[in-house]
Amino acid sequence: MNNIIHHDSATKHVTGESVYINDMLVNNNMLLGKVVFSKHAHAKIKKIDFSEALKTKGVHAILTSVDIPGKNQMGPIVHDEFCLATDEVTFIGQAVALIAAESKEALLIAEQLIKIDYEPLEAILDIETAIAKNNLIAPPRKIERGDPETAMNKAPHIIKGELKTGGQEHWYLETQTALAVPREGKDIIIYASSQNPSETQAIVSEVLGVAKNEVEVEVKRMGGGFGGKETQGNHVAAWAALLANFTRCPVKIHLFRDDDQIMTGKRHRYFSKYEIGFDDNGKILAYKVELNADAGSSTDLSMSILERATLHADNAYFLPNVRIIGKAWKTNLPSNTAYRGFGGPQGIAVIENAIDRIAIFLKKDPAEIRYTNFYQHEKNNTTPYGETVENNRLFLMYDKIIESSEYFKRRKEIEKFNDENEFYKKGIALTPVKFGISFTTSFLNQAGALVNIYNDGTVLVNHGGTEMGQGLHTKMLQIASAELGISPDKIKVNATNTSKVPNTSPTAASSGSDINGMAVKNAIDILKSRISEVAVAEFEKLYPSDKTLKENIVFENDFIFDKQNPSNKISFEDIVKIAHFKQVSLSSTGFYKTPGIYFDREKGVGVPFFYFSFGMSVSEVMIDTLTGRHTLLRTDIIQDVGDSLNEDIDRGQIEGGFIQGVGWVTTEELKWDKKGNLLTHSPDTYKIPTVNDIPKDFRVELLKNVPNPGTIRKSKAVGEPPFMLAFSVWFAIKDAISAVGNHKIEPEFSLPATYEVILLCSEKLKKK
Amino acid sequence: MNNIVRFVLDNKIVEIDFFKKQELKPTTTVLNYLRSYPEHKGVKEGCAEGDCGACTIVVAELDKNEKLVYKTLDSCLVFLPMIHGKQLITVENLAIEGTKEKILHPVQQLMVETNGSQCGYCTPGIIMSLFGLYKNHNNPSREIIEDALTGNLCRCTGYQSIIEAAQKACTVKGKDHFSEKEKDVVKMLKNIAENKESLVLSTENQKYFKPFSLEEALIIRLENPDAIIINGSTDVALRQTKKNEHFAKILDISGVEELKTFYEDKDCYVFGSGISIEQVKNFSKETLPALYKMLSVFGSLQIRNIATIGGNAGSASPIGDTLPLLFAYGAKLKLTSGAGDRVIEIEDFIKGYRQTDLGNDELIKEIIIPKTDNSTKINSFKISKRKDLDISTVSGAFKLKLEQENVSEIILAYGGMAATTKRAVNTEKFLTGKKWSKKNVEEAMNIVAEEFTPLSDARSEAEFRTIAAKNLLMKFYIEN
Repeated sequence: MNNIIHHDSATKHVTGESVYINDMLVNNNMLLGKVVFSKHAHAKIKKIDFSEALKTKGVHAILTSVDIPGKNQMGPIVHDEFCLATDEVTFIGQAVALIAAESKEALLIAEQLIKIDYEPLEAILDIETAIAKNNLIAPPRKIERGDPETAMNKAPHIIKGELKTGGQEHWYLETQTALAVPREGKDIIIYASSQNPSETQAIVSEVLGVAKNEVEVEVKRMGGGFGGKETQGNHVAAWAALLANFTRCPVKIHLFRDDDQIMTGKRHRYFSKYEIGFDDNGKILAYKVELNADAGSSTDLSMSILERATLHADNAYFLPNVRIIGKAWKTNLPSNTAYRGFGGPQGIAVIENAIDRIAIFLKKDPAEIRYTNFYQHEKNNTTPYGETVENNRLFLMYDKIIESSEYFKRRKEIEKFNDENEFYKKGIALTPVKFGISFTTSFLNQAGALVNIYNDGTVLVNHGGTEMGQGLHTKMLQIASAELGISPDKIKVNATNTSKVPNTSPTAASSGSDINGMAVKNAIDILKSRISEVAVAEFEKLYPSDKTLKENIVFENDFIFDKQNPSNKISFEDIVKIAHFKQVSLSSTGFYKTPGIYFDREKGVGVPFFYFSFGMSVSEVMIDTLTGRHTLLRTDIIQDVGDSLNEDIDRGQIEGGFIQGVGWVTTEELKWDKKGNLLTHSPDTYKIPTVNDIPKDFRVELLKNVPNPGTIRKSKAVGEPPFMLAFSVWFAIKDAISAVGNHKIEPEFSLPATYEVILLCSEKLKKK
Repeated sequence: MNNIVRFVLDNKIVEIDFFKKQELKPTTTVLNYLRSYPEHKGVKEGCAEGDCGACTIVVAELDKNEKLVYKTLDSCLVFLPMIHGKQLITVENLAIEGTKEKILHPVQQLMVETNGSQCGYCTPGIIMSLFGLYKNHNNPSREIIEDALTGNLCRCTGYQSIIEAAQKACTVKGKDHFSEKEKDVVKMLKNIAENKESLVLSTENQKYFKPFSLEEALIIRLENPDAIIINGSTDVALRQTKKNEHFAKILDISGVEELKTFYEDKDCYVFGSGISIEQVKNFSKETLPALYKMLSVFGSLQIRNIATIGGNAGSASPIGDTLPLLFAYGAKLKLTSGAGDRVIEIEDFIKGYRQTDLGNDELIKEIIIPKTDNSTKINSFKISKRKDLDISTVSGAFKLKLEQENVSEIILAYGGMAATTKRAVNTEKFLTGKKWSKKNVEEAMNIVAEEFTPLSDARSEAEFRTIAAKNLLMKFYIEN
């Protein structure tokens, strides 16, 4: 397959031609929409008065919950999320009213004139309070194997602890945006920035009270998603649709950056408690963990995310006796949502920290304790939920990265450096990732495609996945090109549209290329079969002496030929014309469902994942114990992507995912005041990595010669797994802080390791 | 009266008469102006506060030798009259029409080849920063590349591919199709510059003055003491873009050439208040290393290209990056008005939180930094959540003069610890006359902790600030 192909929009990106929704011009009647949101974390709405605001010049409509023609609901799974607040608000940033106006200025004036009387109520603003008040959002989840109680009691050593991991703002460069254009009758088209056009369609049809066949949703591209547009993109689409439906004008809503940060959900922060029993060699005998998620004010995807957190509580380690409890707590904050890793990072953080503590306790190198506990090949290779870890790459990767990163040599050098320096300390860490690929809600593992061949020999591929920068369309184009045997420039991948491929799953769970690639292939297989029949008939006419069999027809290099008689050939363009004249359909849908996966939530057992993705990284940092500043000196990564569909794109996903993870574990800090106002609501105070924050020495390697059986062209998913490689940075920082106390006292640590955490931890160790 | 803003865009002179173009006002940002045209929607708004660089543009202006100088700016912070007399270059101007397809500019071509774009939303801004780099540097070092890209956030790529594109593209001394057209552009810009009359832009509820001489500026200042003074507007523009504040009157002194001079005297360096932070940074590299160090982590190149040293001092922010240093250097300001000049110590100039001694007929003319002898050490430190493109949580600038081993003079100026830049006077007293030793410094650190009662905010808790302030003294000790 042609592996060197650039992003299919690259030229448009660099010339500024690529169109995002905020760049679209519909007609001169287009209005701008604005969301008026709650300034209280929890309050009764006593009265909304917008009579003055409505008089503002240029204002066309102001809507509240009473103006919703359909259901006042936009929760994706559990219907517990209002589209517009009715008589109560449950978080700061909750939509209360909508304004449509001709200009931004008019919107701002009108907003100032809307009077909302609130009666503040008591608010729950952290997990601890929610736990104290027993404010669960849904029944807990549990996965258990063996006899964790007995094994724990018998274990020679036990470590107990708690760990807090912070939330994370997606900070997609393009804030939430939607453009709704009313058409004749009840029909409406939504240009959405959504990872889940079918869900956007469902929510819009619900709030407007119209059927799904009256709502068309199109997604050309997103300016970044990262999970933040899996459900949150639906909201802005629903609001734009309400305004457009009411005014009968096209309405665009493009959230201002601060509003986006205040209003939308983020990665769930977790507060976890654990107990780990182990022997003198650091072998884990028992593990008990309780994962507590801050769900925010409504369910959204919290339970699915919690499920993935419980399914990743093991990370790469065999846990013979284990109990994993997952609880999601309701608080008065924006409903937390999907974010790259989807609970995986939160589950993995706890076991990794526990293992790190085992190493400190036993005075051994953490890498060795990790190695000791890796899933094995023949035995000790089943997860707590009973799935066998197949095609385990952990040992292969460990050997490679220990050698390529010169881990043990550098460890010695670091020890020397730390002995010689009072105020600067270095640290190094190796962390693995095992990440399950598939939606854990098994039915979502399906995808559709629609492939059209036009009679000039060009091809238009439609599929259910969305493009958010990850290069999905490029990979689909490559697959279509390879399967049809025609050059990529004859193929285009269309904007994702609900009228082309219906009932699609979100582009999430790293599954985009796996499932959509198979659906595209399926459609192409059908088309090839039809074309092959035409070709057989044609070859019989052209080459009557050679008997051509359908199964011998090959599509390659823009031609179709008979494998037995390669000189018997016809161009793709010609055969398509002939097929058209012979009244053969040149359009086909394709479909795929991932085989053999299921998960029983009640029992906590099953085979939820089609396969596992593996990765490993080693990072070295230096900290300044006087200021809390850390510097990322070097990172080595090995990632298993099977037979890569596109090495450049995969490398981009690995580097980008890792750096996003580095942000999560270091500088990205969400901070609220006592009333529930987000303090870090702009890039002024919420700090994602800049170009200076990447490792000074950054080495990324794709594991070679590891075809993945059963997937599209033997590839593996790559979207989420690299995110969790950033734990190596967090543990390297912990290692460096630990050096302040000569590794005799364990630092109390949390995530992210901001300059504040690093400095305060170091100070405590200095005092001891 | 000169009431038309003129600049070069798309190879021609654009004229804006705000009286006729009612949808625009003088403080309309270049970003919003460009985005109001279908052919200029490549430029993106990512944050409207100069923190993400998605709106990066390049402005070419004439230097003293009538050569074009290319600078990257955040267009979300630039008001239209600020680009009067300059060439505005957008992402749409980089590729040129070829016979079959567009011919990409080298920086664009390399970004395609290295897969430097993913979602593409930050890409136009990145392209413009790379273009600025391309025009100004040949075979730039990694450090220069990083500096050029610090002001551009990308959430997708992890930047590695973008660095690679920069390394591969910037190898031909900035030659491109812009080089070929420079003569025409210079001609157009000179044409615009012929009219030296102050720009006076009036709309229904906004009046914007842009004088081109100090004399004119002082007259306008005298007649309009209520006008907000801007130069780079990197601070003031935020009040409009983020807080929707309306400015009734603005005095833009960015066109006053007399304020852009730099000279070295026998015992001091004199910076015109209108010199950009980037220029100050470059001047100070050899001469004032502590200032250079601080300015290296000042905002981003886009911000430094337009923010001025006079503006940073005049805004009197407790977290302004240059103020602690100006305290440590014992800098003086020369203020000027129609009545003449006066010189004031920086410490007397700062009156309170964002309050200064500037009279309502005065402008800051010069910042005078005395030279120091070899027995004097000056160093600066900035602590922020993220190393680059961040506002300081705590900053410190310290001056130490030793006689034998004893402290004969010490200035410990802190930012972020109080409502203004503030000296740790008790600590200074304690150390004066004492031996400059680790033991004494450790004792002094405890006094620093007692001298301030800092705030807790989004950047850090008070406890962190207190410890950091103490520790900076130790850093000063070990780095000397």
